[in-house]
Amino acid sequence: MKALRLAWRNILRNRRRSFVTVLIAALGTASLLVAGGFALYSYDALREGAAREFGHLTVAHPDYFERDEETPMQYGLADHQAVAATLAQDARVRRSLPRIALSGLISNGDKSMIFVGIGVDIRAEAEVRGPFLKLVAGALPAGDGATSVLLGADLARSLGARPGTSLTLLATTTAGSMNAIDVEVAGIVSTGWREMDKRLVYTGLATGQRLLATDRVSTLSVFLDRTDSTPAMLAAAAAGDSHHAYKPWWEQAFYYQSVRQLYNRIFGLLGIIIAALVFFSVANTLTMAVVERTREIGTLRALGALPAEIVAEFLREGALIGAVGTLLGMLLAAGVAQLVLGLDLQMPPPPGRSETYPLKVYVDAPLYAVVSCLIVLLCAVAAWFASRKAARKSIVAALGHV
Amino acid sequence: MNAPVIAIAGIVKHYRLGATDVPALKGIALTVPAGAFVAVRGPSGSGKSTLLNICGLIDDFDAGSYHLDGEDVAGLDETARTLIRRRRIGFVFQSYNLVPVMTVRENIEYPLLLAGLPPAERKRRIDAILDQVGLADLADRRPDLLSGGQRQRVAIARALVKEPALVIADEPTANLDTATAAQVIDLMRELGHRHGTTFLIATHDDRMTARCDQVRALVDGMLQ
Repeated sequence: MKALRLAWRNILRNRRRSFVTVLIAALGTASLLVAGGFALYSYDALREGAAREFGHLTVAHPDYFERDEETPMQYGLADHQAVAATLAQDARVRRSLPRIALSGLISNGDKSMIFVGIGVDIRAEAEVRGPFLKLVAGALPAGDGATSVLLGADLARSLGARPGTSLTLLATTTAGSMNAIDVEVAGIVSTGWREMDKRLVYTGLATGQRLLATDRVSTLSVFLDRTDSTPAMLAAAAAGDSHHAYKPWWEQAFYYQSVRQLYNRIFGLLGIIIAALVFFSVANTLTMAVVERTREIGTLRALGALPAEIVAEFLREGALIGAVGTLLGMLLAAGVAQLVLGLDLQMPPPPGRSETYPLKVYVDAPLYAVVSCLIVLLCAVAAWFASRKAARKSIVAALGHV
Repeated sequence: MNAPVIAIAGIVKHYRLGATDVPALKGIALTVPAGAFVAVRGPSGSGKSTLLNICGLIDDFDAGSYHLDGEDVAGLDETARTLIRRRRIGFVFQSYNLVPVMTVRENIEYPLLLAGLPPAERKRRIDAILDQVGLADLADRRPDLLSGGQRQRVAIARALVKEPALVIADEPTANLDTATAAQVIDLMRELGHRHGTTFLIATHDDRMTARCDQVRALVDGMLQ
């Protein structure tokens, strides 16, 4: 305590210089925390979006993810109901949705376009997708939906389709023949992905199976109570069932992975630059302090202080500057996070997407702990860097320093 | 006759100034008995400070022998010399060299903290030495609020509080007026006697040399 009090007094020797250094440490900390908080929010949002799109786990035929099908539904699941029933016994499983992957042509009679569709319980799908599937017109199909479909917004625009419009879906059945069914547009949706909205068709599961003339499904999407439960659930499910392939959401979320890698690099580089600024600022301040106190260092050495004890004093000063700086930086970052939340700012659509998204900055305790420890450590290292030579300087030379 | 605290013989010290080799001490021999009050006088550049630095183990020498309180200290590494200074050598500097951010009490306490004394013992010693130097009322002041004489008394207290065998004092009265210098000399003399401490003092001050047990003149790196 005595040593810290002394360190604090030494910091106050040159108040203006120390204030600027603390301010740099505070701004550096705040920058890292705001950038990190935004990255964490982005990861979280993308993770939730991916998990809601694919399901936390996807159960499929063992060859489904490994081989290309020669005929539709060659590697489909015939026993999805039994698998779903087994999985439902686990308390972590909230819901299982069988899905059938569709592709073919969609026509309004005048114009035909390629579609990529999903046959699924549409209401349940809309529920699990939540904010990641936006109904822009019409309504979700009632009941089992029969021949009602949802169209992607851009596809609907291309076909001039509105709720109530009749369209025809054409696809190749499992037997290799062509099949067509008439459907009616119940609603128009946007996933936020322009490329997806140009092709997307949601049909009911039975409609999809009828189009492909099959009673199989492509996959079973399993939704858990929490995304964090995925690794444990994956291990448990895969261990208890060797007849199916289990794939977690992150192995299918390529956009999430690439954004995460990109952000990690951007924010990593930003972090290095900020850390370097803080380091050199603190090192500069303490180097000046060391020079000014060279004679004092010589005196303390003459009185019997070891070089390590001199360095320790400067380490305490550096760490104290870092601690005060990080404390202010944390308050500043938390304030910025609250302000951003209050202002409800929107970020422009990322490449490939059609919708803005809210700017949020997480106030994450582990992030705050790691960044503050890092800054304090960095300041201590800067102090060591600044004082190590002076502490070993000849005592006679130090005492003669003017 | 007391055993010598300082026993040096044949001490040689050179400095290098660029390519020039400058001899500072040329075979010094000096024996200072325990409890003695010894002055080294001489003109500027005669080597007084160099001799005191060597005796205070803050500088090394090129040749010769040095026994401090009976222990051969020649060739010790810096850590060993530091630990000897910590326990057995006190310093009084011309410019006081007090730590400005420490109070009087804290300046005096510093050597005791280095020596690892427990808090109660530190307090006892500090209170006692503050009484002896007459600064008990100023214990919580910072050095910048003290006069030159008061600062030098703090420096003397700091040097003596750990009860060292040897105190090195380099021109301790050079920055003081006549009356204050006389008080400081008396104080050093009295406390040195009370604590049984040996003083080795570099000085130009005749009042100081007049109060010393032994005065040695150093001229051109040689003791007369």
